[in-house]
Amino acid sequence: MSNVPKEAIEVIAQSIGITNLSPDVALALTPDVEYRVREIMQEAIKCMRHSRRTILTTDDVDGALKLRNVEPIYGFASGDPLRFKRAAGHRDLFYIDDKDVEFKDVIEAPLPKAPFDVSVAAHWLAIEGVQPAIPENAPVEALAVYSDVKKSEYKEDGLPVDVKLPVKHVLSKELQLYFEKITGLTQRSSSTLFKEALMSLATDSGLHPLVPYFTCFVADEVTRNLNNFLYLFALMRLVRSLLQNPHIHVEPYLHQLMPSVITCLVAKRLGNRYTDNHWELRNFTANLVSSICKRFGHVYHNLQPRLTRTLLHAFLDPNKALPQHYGAIQGLAALGPNVVRLLILPNLDSYMQLLEPEMILEKQKNEIKRHEAWRVYGALLRAAGQCMHDRLKKFHSLLSPAHLVWKRNGKIATTMTNKRKASTDNLMLQPPLKKLAHDGMVGALPMNSMQVDMQGAAGGFTASAGSLNVGVSSMSHQLPMEQMSGRDVSGQMVKGSTGLAQAWKEETDVGHVVASLFEHFGESVFPFTPKSELSFFL
Amino acid sequence: MEEEKIQKFIQDYFKNRGLKLPEELQQSSTNTVSSPVSQFDPDVVRQILAFSQFQDGPARYQDEYARLRSWTYTSLDLYRHELLRVLYPVFIHCFMDLVAKGHIQEARTFFNSFREDHEMMHLRDLQKLEGVLSPSHLEEMEFAHSLRQSKVNIKICQYSYELLLQFLHKSQSTTMLGIINEHINFQVSPGQPSSITDDAEAVTLMGGSQESANQINQKEIHWGLLEDSLEERLEKVGGMALDSERAEGETKEGEGDENKKKSIEGGKQGASIKKQKKDKAVSATMKSARPEATPVPTAPRVKPELTLPVIPTEVEQSILEDLRNRVQLSSAALPSVSFYTFINTHNGLNCSSISHDGSLVAGGFSDSSLKVWDMAKIGQQSVGSDLQGENGTASSEQVAGSNGGKRPYTLFQGHSGPVYSATFNPLGDFILSSSADSTIRLWSTNLNANLVCYKGHNYPVWDVQFSPVGHYFASASHDRTARIWSMDRIQPLRIMAGHLSDVDCVQWHSNCNYIATGSSDKTVRLWDVQSGECVRIFIGHRSMILSLAMSPDGRYMASGDEDGSIMMWDLSTGRCVTPLMGHTSCVWTLAFSGEGSLLASGSADCTVKLWDITASTKLPKAEEKSGSASRLRSLKTLPTKSTPVYSLRFSRRNLLFAAGVLSKSV
Repeated sequence: MSNVPKEAIEVIAQSIGITNLSPDVALALTPDVEYRVREIMQEAIKCMRHSRRTILTTDDVDGALKLRNVEPIYGFASGDPLRFKRAAGHRDLFYIDDKDVEFKDVIEAPLPKAPFDVSVAAHWLAIEGVQPAIPENAPVEALAVYSDVKKSEYKEDGLPVDVKLPVKHVLSKELQLYFEKITGLTQRSSSTLFKEALMSLATDSGLHPLVPYFTCFVADEVTRNLNNFLYLFALMRLVRSLLQNPHIHVEPYLHQLMPSVITCLVAKRLGNRYTDNHWELRNFTANLVSSICKRFGHVYHNLQPRLTRTLLHAFLDPNKALPQHYGAIQGLAALGPNVVRLLILPNLDSYMQLLEPEMILEKQKNEIKRHEAWRVYGALLRAAGQCMHDRLKKFHSLLSPAHLVWKRNGKIATTMTNKRKASTDNLMLQPPLKKLAHDGMVGALPMNSMQVDMQGAAGGFTASAGSLNVGVSSMSHQLPMEQMSGRDVSGQMVKGSTGLAQAWKEETDVGHVVASLFEHFGESVFPFTPKSELSFFL
Repeated sequence: MEEEKIQKFIQDYFKNRGLKLPEELQQSSTNTVSSPVSQFDPDVVRQILAFSQFQDGPARYQDEYARLRSWTYTSLDLYRHELLRVLYPVFIHCFMDLVAKGHIQEARTFFNSFREDHEMMHLRDLQKLEGVLSPSHLEEMEFAHSLRQSKVNIKICQYSYELLLQFLHKSQSTTMLGIINEHINFQVSPGQPSSITDDAEAVTLMGGSQESANQINQKEIHWGLLEDSLEERLEKVGGMALDSERAEGETKEGEGDENKKKSIEGGKQGASIKKQKKDKAVSATMKSARPEATPVPTAPRVKPELTLPVIPTEVEQSILEDLRNRVQLSSAALPSVSFYTFINTHNGLNCSSISHDGSLVAGGFSDSSLKVWDMAKIGQQSVGSDLQGENGTASSEQVAGSNGGKRPYTLFQGHSGPVYSATFNPLGDFILSSSADSTIRLWSTNLNANLVCYKGHNYPVWDVQFSPVGHYFASASHDRTARIWSMDRIQPLRIMAGHLSDVDCVQWHSNCNYIATGSSDKTVRLWDVQSGECVRIFIGHRSMILSLAMSPDGRYMASGDEDGSIMMWDLSTGRCVTPLMGHTSCVWTLAFSGEGSLLASGSADCTVKLWDITASTKLPKAEEKSGSASRLRSLKTLPTKSTPVYSLRFSRRNLLFAAGVLSKSV
């Protein structure tokens, strides 16, 4: 008869202590109960409408009960939607999942973050009836003229509005198809077709309407697929291609891209297997970041500061995992030697204290951890070395008689690499080094020697990590020997350096840097300095 | 044999009706009746017998209704829609009859088996009626009660009427016949059946009879504007002022600069300043387009019935200045819209209000607080004097001064229940707020303090509105009354009672002599402020009225409801000029532009729509008959990014301000 079964009445009666309710009474009560419930709901809906809402909350029901002079029901604060659970074995019986909470836990729990206070932000919804294409407005038409977008960027960081694009299609069928193809290919990144796709992304004009979709896609997929290494790499490639495309105006979307890019740089875990070469991804992303900064740094004046702040936080936080440190260091190093000098070098002392125990066999039994530590060490070394090299670059001219040395070092390099073939992944620094090697051909001696020694160093790390028996000491033996040869060579050039003594004096502070670096890295740092200057110091 | 039956039936009949005949009369009546029975026409006898057979059987309702329904659906195409209109009132009255007689079970089955037919048109009514399960509920529920009391008017053509009667007689559906006679008032018109399109109003079931509504709507109202209003004064001096306007030189380029500057300045700048500048620039460009002859108001000016407050001269000057600089809006020249987005409200914002110059924004919260933002101050301290803009008083200075702390807004605390409405007076120095604690509070933005607490309503006050001249204000409450107050009395001056359900919104007529109220009983009423009488009832909405707006020329009124439809009413005739369809969810707010050429509506579907009214309101005069041509045009839909629009306000210079809460959940 009524939607309320008489059993419900009986149950409620029992719950308030009436045990001998006759079935007739229950039956008679049901219609009235239903009517009252409806009445309450009618009032609750009024309260909801006057609160300018379209979703009914428990507050509204309480308001309705108050209107009817009924005690409100306590304990159901609105806010989170109530989570109903289905009772096992019953199709239409639900209950609220109400967990027991330990009182102690509640008291001891740290205070929750204070919610943001209410604020009001203003923007133009329309100017003379035309909606400007600013982030605050829903995108109705395909992106309007760029100038419009540019004009209205002024509130980029003033308003914490998520730039979420509703799926309102103004894209042509072709573009939609293209977008689907590309995203599909990204998921199967190994195919050669993907390379073609990247090429197309990097060169085609007329892709601009897709940019917001791509940025959205990247942002979504990165957060969702942090353990899919290959996919992440493919996504980063996609980003790089987008950045390369001269016809695309990426600026307005950078703020959306950057978080995902930085994630790929300093995330705790990228990929789910140990064999995933996440180091390579981090290196790749570091370069990507630096290229973004170079290109857009002047437009977004706060881009680089924000980036460096993020990275520095990651670097200086001892609680972060070593891979995160690695990513941060690589990222900072990619931003240029000045960044390294200002941000990494001052913190080197304290950081090395943290890092050293991780690298030593006796103290860190976990092989993987130790390997990571050596990785970080290598990255630090490279960053510091590059910085130093930059400082000393002025003395390039000094190093003209390079060819001879180059050959000799080259030999050493080859022998060294042969030795290291067994090690698992020794090529972490390979791409940049290769480049350096090319530079070296042109005549920069220190580069060459650096290449050799760095590889030596890297080889050393991996070797030590790979086989437990090879201690740190063995490596340090190895290096000085090599170093000796380098110094022999540099001896020939001592006289050339005198001419630059004047300039050299201005760089006395570099001396301190070199000294401190020496302290930390031992002699492995020398390859980064032009030999002549080194000898000058020692 | 038959005679006995008839006698028994007659006795039962009297018993059932609770009538008692004196013994001897009964005796004699049986005698008198019995003797002539034999002379009765056998037809009549059969009818009486048939009637007695089916008497009160609850199954009859179901059977007869089902028969009527199937007959209607198979009737002639031409007349079917007219006959279909009859079904709904019959349906609900059948249901209520069953409930009233206590056949709850049958009522429920009856209701469920036929409700689908009417769901499309009358979903909300059905939902209400569904819960009625005992005779006492019928008495208690105002909706059902009023349905029982009143008659439904249905226009029907001669032939349909005859068809219907014939069928009812032939099929001996006496119950249906009874219901139709009791509750339906047929307006039989000769000739062809009416077109399908205009059946909307015909089927609206109303509490209170149509009759009385028509009667009320006969009353005379003076919708003309006040004499000696500022607008009028402006018109007088208008010609001279125009020539001396200095902004003549500025052109479109000027605006471009304005925009660029805005982008360079960056950050969330004091929006309203720019807006005002913008306003000026726009007005300059529009100046040439401004017609010399302003539309002549068609109604004679009226005298104010209330003593109006005196406006200080400097304020008057600034208002006149604003009016001179007003942008002329039309379908070709759309307004600029500045949107104030509330963020981080955690679902706590119940209402918002924007001051007449757009510089102050108030928000009423469910935590009983009222917060006021000075948009001119936000993010910008440097711009000093021209910041005052349209607001002639130096109010903003003091508000900010007392802010002290980091809070970017002024917090007003005092209510003890959710704040449901807030309104600024025309000068922006007072705010009124109404709350669920059944009080209205007056706040001063200069002193940042609560000045008065008006107690009078017994239930939550849903809406409060300052009159166009300030000083007086009107409130609407759950207690089914609207009240008129003045700022200096703590007792209401008038109480308007008559609505059959909550009064949900209230709005002043532009000449201050009338107020309009919208209610949950789906009607809008117009009340005379002086006499407190209801002078118009506007029937046509299908759900609760949420927003009202009066055109500046005083002739039209717009009302928006829960379903998203907006209706434009002609005050003098009480008729709906045209419904405006377009919104898909609650219309929270409506606003007419300064000169009344545009209507803006803000809705829960996250859009602001602009409607052209000149086309709709002027045209029907000429082509009354053609009908469809008079549809209002939707000029533009401005979607926001998941921000339902809570309030709208045209500034005196015709810049549109909108406010809403960013809601993530949508």
